[in-house]
Amino acid sequence: MSAPIVVIGGGVDALVAAHWLARAGESVTMIDERGQVPSSTSGWIPPEVIRRLDLAAHGLVIGAPDPWLSAPLPNGGRLDLWRDSARTANAMRALSAPDADRWPAFCEQMREHAAVLAALYSAPAPDVMTRDWRELLHVAKIALRTRRLGRARLESFLRLVPMSIADLLDDWFESDLLKGVLGAAGVMHLHQGPRSGGTALAFLHHHVGNAPGVFRPSHSNIEAVLARCSGVDRRANVRIQQIDVQAGRVTGVTLVDGTHIAATLVVSAASPWQTLLDWVDAAWLEPDAIRAIRNIRARGVVAHVVLTLDRAPGFAALAIAPSLDYLERAYDDAKYRRISHAPLIEARYVAPSGADATHAVIVQMQFAPYLLAEGSWDASRKQALVDTVIAAVANHLPRDAILSTQCVSPADAATDDGFPAGQAHHAELALDQFLWMRPTPSLARYRTMIGGLYLCGPAMHPGAGTAGASGMLAAQTVLGDRGQQR
Amino acid sequence: MAAPYEAIVIGGGHNGLVCAAYLARAGKRVLVLEQRDRIGGAAVSEQLFPGFTFSVFSYVVSLLRPEIIRDLELPRHGLHVLPLESTLTPLPNGDYLAQWNDHDQNRRELARHSLRDAEAYDEFGRLMHLMSRAIKPILGMPPPDPASLLPRDLMGMGRLGKYFRDLGAERFHALHKLLTMSSADYLDEWFETEALKATKSASGIIGALLGPRSPGSAYVLLHHYMGELDGVFRAWGFAKGGNGSVSTAIAAAAMSFGATIRTNAPVSQVLIKNGRAVGVVLNDGEELRAPITISGADPRRTFMQFVGAQHLPNELVDGIRRFRFRGTSAKVNLALSEAPNFTCMPGVGAHLRGAISISPSVDYLERAYDDAKYGEFSRRPYMDIILPSMIDPGMAPPGQHVMSIFAQYAPYDLKGGWTDAKRAAFGDTVIDTLSEYAPNLKTSILHRQVITPPDIERMIGLTEGNIFQGELSLQQMFFLRPIPAWARYATPIEGLYQCGAGTHPGGGVMGASGRNAALTILGKMK
Amino acid sequence: MILKPTPFHPRTSVLCESHAWRRWSGYLAASSYELSHEREYHSIRNAAALFDITPLYKYRVQGRDAARLLDRVVTRNVARTKVGDVLYTPWCDHRGKVLDDGTVARLGEQLFRLTSADPNLRWLEDCAHGLDVDIDDVSEQVAALALQGPTARAILMQLTDGGLEGLKFFRLTATSIRGMPVEISRTGYTGDLGFEIWMQAEHALAIWDALIEVGANYGMAPAGMFALDVARIEAGLMLIDVDYVSARKALIESQLSSPFELDLAWTVNTDKPSFVGKEALVAEQARGPAWQFVGVVVDWDSFERLYLAVGLAPRVPIPAWRMSVPIFSGGEQAGYATSGGWSPLLKKYIALAHLQSKWAAPGTSLEMELTVEHRRKRAIVTVVKKPFFNPARKRT
Repeated sequence: MSAPIVVIGGGVDALVAAHWLARAGESVTMIDERGQVPSSTSGWIPPEVIRRLDLAAHGLVIGAPDPWLSAPLPNGGRLDLWRDSARTANAMRALSAPDADRWPAFCEQMREHAAVLAALYSAPAPDVMTRDWRELLHVAKIALRTRRLGRARLESFLRLVPMSIADLLDDWFESDLLKGVLGAAGVMHLHQGPRSGGTALAFLHHHVGNAPGVFRPSHSNIEAVLARCSGVDRRANVRIQQIDVQAGRVTGVTLVDGTHIAATLVVSAASPWQTLLDWVDAAWLEPDAIRAIRNIRARGVVAHVVLTLDRAPGFAALAIAPSLDYLERAYDDAKYRRISHAPLIEARYVAPSGADATHAVIVQMQFAPYLLAEGSWDASRKQALVDTVIAAVANHLPRDAILSTQCVSPADAATDDGFPAGQAHHAELALDQFLWMRPTPSLARYRTMIGGLYLCGPAMHPGAGTAGASGMLAAQTVLGDRGQQR
Repeated sequence: MAAPYEAIVIGGGHNGLVCAAYLARAGKRVLVLEQRDRIGGAAVSEQLFPGFTFSVFSYVVSLLRPEIIRDLELPRHGLHVLPLESTLTPLPNGDYLAQWNDHDQNRRELARHSLRDAEAYDEFGRLMHLMSRAIKPILGMPPPDPASLLPRDLMGMGRLGKYFRDLGAERFHALHKLLTMSSADYLDEWFETEALKATKSASGIIGALLGPRSPGSAYVLLHHYMGELDGVFRAWGFAKGGNGSVSTAIAAAAMSFGATIRTNAPVSQVLIKNGRAVGVVLNDGEELRAPITISGADPRRTFMQFVGAQHLPNELVDGIRRFRFRGTSAKVNLALSEAPNFTCMPGVGAHLRGAISISPSVDYLERAYDDAKYGEFSRRPYMDIILPSMIDPGMAPPGQHVMSIFAQYAPYDLKGGWTDAKRAAFGDTVIDTLSEYAPNLKTSILHRQVITPPDIERMIGLTEGNIFQGELSLQQMFFLRPIPAWARYATPIEGLYQCGAGTHPGGGVMGASGRNAALTILGKMK
Repeated sequence: MILKPTPFHPRTSVLCESHAWRRWSGYLAASSYELSHEREYHSIRNAAALFDITPLYKYRVQGRDAARLLDRVVTRNVARTKVGDVLYTPWCDHRGKVLDDGTVARLGEQLFRLTSADPNLRWLEDCAHGLDVDIDDVSEQVAALALQGPTARAILMQLTDGGLEGLKFFRLTATSIRGMPVEISRTGYTGDLGFEIWMQAEHALAIWDALIEVGANYGMAPAGMFALDVARIEAGLMLIDVDYVSARKALIESQLSSPFELDLAWTVNTDKPSFVGKEALVAEQARGPAWQFVGVVVDWDSFERLYLAVGLAPRVPIPAWRMSVPIFSGGEQAGYATSGGWSPLLKKYIALAHLQSKWAAPGTSLEMELTVEHRRKRAIVTVVKKPFFNPARKRT
């Protein structure tokens, strides 16, 4: 029997990688620094993951709220965006007839463009600089498939990729509110405003796997499902001291309590920063590699506020993003390391389930920069943020319904979840950290400079809010390498 | 009878003139039509006030392709490009950051701010050198059309692919980063001195409605790094007599090859017969015919004004509507009774023979951009200043000076629109801001001229006052400039070509678009 | 002044009768003090020569992991050194290509001084990731002099309170000159008996004066870069930017050099668990370097014949040259020389050259290009082992 594989890190990618490897007959130990597995995970799950890990049979549920988003109208009432695009168009007609007319065509074009990304996300990022004929064939296939889109779609796709979401939406729509709520999807988790280039790509990225006309990532119970599956020795709530390396190869993992777990292969879903710069003795890293890892851009901008309620709030998902300028100004604050005084709010209702009989609303608040110009993320700062959030949703959620509040700042996310600078995506989704550049050119294929050490987290391709795609692709790479060695 | 001209060039800006000169050099009979009373477009020198000559719009020479200087023998026609010696960034705390051409002097100055940066500077310079070399062949290449199946385009794409692969992984990845990152993020990877990052990233925002933290601004950094004079890397220059001498030298070269140039000849439309361009009609109704018409105007004027949507396919009309201009740059030209005295570096010295950059920090530039995003002009603008009379004494009476201030941001779409009062207010803002660093400025101003983007549009016809004939953003570059399928200087109208900065590679007083267009046209005329 | 004066400038500027200055790392450095560098050269080999070497970059590396950091950077083994040891060593990038070369002096258990030709602070700091170490650029705070030549020891023994007597080659001692603390290492760039004196910049002038005063009785002369260049070529010592291009500055692959290609195989310690470039160097060691850095001596008869043929007496290059000169083997280019000149001591025209390995064996006869009366000619050269001159007094 081969030596066990250690998979490091919580999160959906670690779980997918661990189970993928286990399914292939490997003996897998998973070291999860977290105690609990979250009940809900956002992001696209590649169909291959669902199939291969038999997730449907194990009780995978992917939420599909309808309307998928509601947004307050300036004069009271709400704009509801439905899964049925005709119904959405109808709802939009009150705001702008031309926008309503364009909506179906917009949805169709975004669906087509997202399909290009979905195909790219189902395989490791193409290595365009390779000399390996198999890889070249792969690159050629992608090039051919892209060309087969036809002139109009190809040109529109190439033009879209570097654009700002504001420019893209200005090309299509006139309603400030519509542009605001759509634009919000382009800046999600980014230290960018809607006028920044590359946000159109981010918008498309989060559309991958969604139904046409739905521009918010779906939520599922994939982590809870996988945590219940057998086949992986999962050790929760343990802390890693270091990844052991000898003669340039991993030999195992040492925990803070001194336990040594021997392994010839280690797959880490933690960030490249934590995995390589914190856990590996830097003597094994070339300074250029250290520079490259340090230069991975990861700036947390999101705070989460959990409100427990005594009743349902009356919406499934609510966005406060009245215009692109509103988002841009919210970002301006973050630029100067201030918390947005008028933030982007994405609130999602979580119904009571099982033993937990309370209603909850999870608010994703942006922008809350990890680094603050003045002061730090202390209790009073967090309370002020909670107050801002409650005030922002006051019209949609009676204050007396709130039983308790909890705030997770980017600083908390950095400490508790190991997110670099509080950035959940580990590496911001930007054109220079995309495909073969994600997270750095030399790490883009899941392998690291340490023999037997692999990365599989959100910093890897495609990562950034997808659920399990990087885990799957990393696991496939590990198995491929292992197959070659045998 | 054969038409008297084989080609008509609309617009006597530097690209139109370069295009005409190359065609004439190849023996073609060429006519250039310029709407104003003088040639040059944005590269003109005018004596705005008695004794004071200004480069009214563009004011430095950096990107002018050396092959154009050589091919057209521009020095013989009066072009003399003098080096700019330094860049001085005065700081609010009374200190400064200077960048000098001399390596030792520069290193010593940088080391005063950061030893690490002084070291990184050389390595950065090496990379920029490699990157500029990597990008150079692309500038001289008509971009292949990725969606086309023509052998020409397939081979073009193949050549491009091979070219990138031959660069090697390290350089290819560095180029990828430069093309996609923000200049501030890119510089953050190298430097820690705020003023250095700000001054360098400023080149990434010139002419753009972008801040230094906007992705896509790093590429323009390289665009401005490619200044290549006499083979000296990264040297910026000043044309003796002002930037108008660039235009007059090219015009003289064109005429020496037999081209005809007419001023005061504004074109109202391109004559189209049976889907073919057969010449132009001037504002006064005069018709001029030629089998080939080439427009040096920007894409919107060329297609929407001179041609008209009715002659064009819908995709092109849509594409041109989406092509973004959004001019943001203004110019303040001052006649001064004495040289400015900078508090951080008092007196008259080498620093006044270089550029002076008001860019103390990245945040300063970002805040200037914030104002523009919401339709205001910058309350504290970015400025790039030169004193041409310090370099060429003929520009002003002895002891007196001309000052050229490039200022940003002054958005074309100002909230409430530009008025004379707003223009004056912007001029005051520029002078007030600069006076904080050079207190004697205010009292030494003899005359001033403030040019806003609408003024640029009105005076020289650049749509929305965009100095590059269209934003140099990634989605408007290369085979997307000005729109896909028509990025190789040709147009859907047979016989009509484009040669302005609105085509690849565009931007700056570069002349590459004019040259590429001429070479493309000559290829077809054979 | 735009160029920096060294702390010795008030003295050197008075002595520099030739007014021949050159730049060295942003400092003013005397090319020669007298109108000709001849006497200065002979002082190196005959008595003693005093050089201002302050423009070297100097870094103080201190802390628990100081030795670990240096071992991560340089190719030689620093951990094995004892206090007072000095190592000459190159260091490489991750491709195993030389970035720079210099010395590492162990001043204490956890205290080192690294000297280098180019700035290296950023590189050191980046290599120090995860280590407990402080790195300070002390280039301006520390002034340095080199005292080189047969009478150097006698001069210093007059001035110091001990430590010099038994000081071995590439060892260092802390002592004082007229009460001012100095460190003296038995190192140099001339291949002769010699010392380098490291002092705080504020003591520079007093120590200079003391050396001039005592040195006068021992034939000592201040000497400049021209004299040093001849001596270092005789000693077979390479110079950055002249004999090799730093990997930091190389623009193309062929400009890079590995330590093996610079005749520095002896400095590459592949037993160390890891250092920057190790993997590439181990691989290169296994396959052997493509190039070698050797000495060549111009065959006098063939040289003289070229001049006689045009009716001239042979003209030897004084001072030494620094440029690239092709070397051929018949119709093929075998390599190129990068420094060369007339050795007044050996009475030979010598050069340092990069040759492809198959032509690099000592004794190989090749041809070097030279220009005789406006015409390109070739003189016969023979490959020899470096150094050209290696007096016993250097080590004993």
